[in-house]
Amino acid sequence: MTFNIVSVNSLIIYFEQEISETILDKVQKTYLALKELKSIIDLTPSYCSILVHFDILKHNHESMEKEIKAYLNKKAILPQNTKAKLITIPTDYEKNLDLKRVAEHNKLTIDEVINLHTENTYRVYAIGFMLGFAYLGTVHEKINTPRLATPRKKIPKGSVALADNQTAIYPQNSAGGWNIIGHTEFTDFHTLSIGDKVQFERI
Amino acid sequence: MKGFKVLNAGLFSTLQDQGRDGYKHLGITQSGAMDEYAYLWSQKLLSNQNTNAIEVMVGLKLQVEVATSISVCGADLSFQINGLSKAIWQTHFVEVGDVLSFPKRVTGQRAYLSVQNGFKLEKAYDSYATTLKEDLGVKLQKNDNLIYEATQKKVTKRVPNKYVPNYNEPLILRVLPSYQNHYFSKEEQQKFFNSDYEITLQSDRMGAKLKGESIRPNKGGIISEGIAFGSIQVPADGQPVLLLKERQTIGGYPKIGTVLAIDCFRFSQLAVGDKVRFEKINLESARKKTLDFYSIFKRDL
Repeated sequence: MTFNIVSVNSLIIYFEQEISETILDKVQKTYLALKELKSIIDLTPSYCSILVHFDILKHNHESMEKEIKAYLNKKAILPQNTKAKLITIPTDYEKNLDLKRVAEHNKLTIDEVINLHTENTYRVYAIGFMLGFAYLGTVHEKINTPRLATPRKKIPKGSVALADNQTAIYPQNSAGGWNIIGHTEFTDFHTLSIGDKVQFERI
Repeated sequence: MKGFKVLNAGLFSTLQDQGRDGYKHLGITQSGAMDEYAYLWSQKLLSNQNTNAIEVMVGLKLQVEVATSISVCGADLSFQINGLSKAIWQTHFVEVGDVLSFPKRVTGQRAYLSVQNGFKLEKAYDSYATTLKEDLGVKLQKNDNLIYEATQKKVTKRVPNKYVPNYNEPLILRVLPSYQNHYFSKEEQQKFFNSDYEITLQSDRMGAKLKGESIRPNKGGIISEGIAFGSIQVPADGQPVLLLKERQTIGGYPKIGTVLAIDCFRFSQLAVGDKVRFEKINLESARKKTLDFYSIFKRDL
């Protein structure tokens, strides 16, 4: 864990700079602990980092880093409930725009694509791009599919999407270049948190 | 329930406060007043404690339906009451039937119009800040009613001259060098700090795309991570992007540094085509300048 100065009132905590479940576990554990720290204004956890925004009137970088480290040490000796919750996303794969494309790209049948997509349990590696847009990984390598060459101007909200080795749900209508492989009525996007587990269920 | 009636919405006027904190983990952007300096003065003149204000852009026209004291700070948009020019960076008492208008841009981009005790609105995620893409807050539309409580209290306050900025002065943006500096060679960094950059049309509340000497990072992308206010991202085309109040919460372009927030406030008053330069500042001075900035608003007028 290293601390880097970003701006007068923010620092970024770096974990090993790689995308893996081991690192994600560390990010999640640290994020859940720091959430309780009152002197922090905002936390932006992502794949292998946490951006910390603090009150410049109460802290400088040195004192903030010290407080974070002391707090994490204190938390480390207490038993923690960091078991990721499992969220199930009922998905209608009939309502897709690109299942055929994904199947052809990977030389699979549409049913095989759906089975591979529902088989894995994903983790929330980051939330961003728009309110509640969770980057879920890791998609089975057999259905890894690049983005569309030309992004669509409008993707309807609730679209279940796939790009490279990640999958996601569009919480709002938006432009975007991901492959649309299904649709869900799920709307509780504010309940998603870094590290949570997500599984898609065919309906 | 009455207040202002919007006669003409103008270019793009929104309700704002100091921004939305505490929800970046859900991907919710900061938003809030683009120019906190002018916003905080408009609040201070009325003794409002970060209630809210209209971030006014040119063309807005309002009818007063309830008497109150207002303050206008920021851009000179030829502010008028009933067609008569009025001074800004000060308060005015307005009465039922008065028409407030901002017909023409003279200097700056955004003015802040506050009313005594703020507008009566519902907060979303603890803030009044407007972010269109998140469907949060209020963008003013013709015939909207903006409600506030009536007051007969005539506040007469103005910002002392020495605190009124001159938006025509050239702007040098002070930059804290980045922890990602190793993605930029010495030569590339020198180019960045020795060139003029022009503000392009691709600029809005989210950020400003600049045009000038290309800076080549030696890495096209990094693993997406949280982005601070004022971060300067450099995508593969080498043209820097200064990220402002409605920036995306995470992103994967290398960053050459972070512009001081207080300089970003001033930057948001510039127009497309205006030029800026960058200069380095060390953490200690950056911290002091920021603390000095906010201490102004703690003092009595």
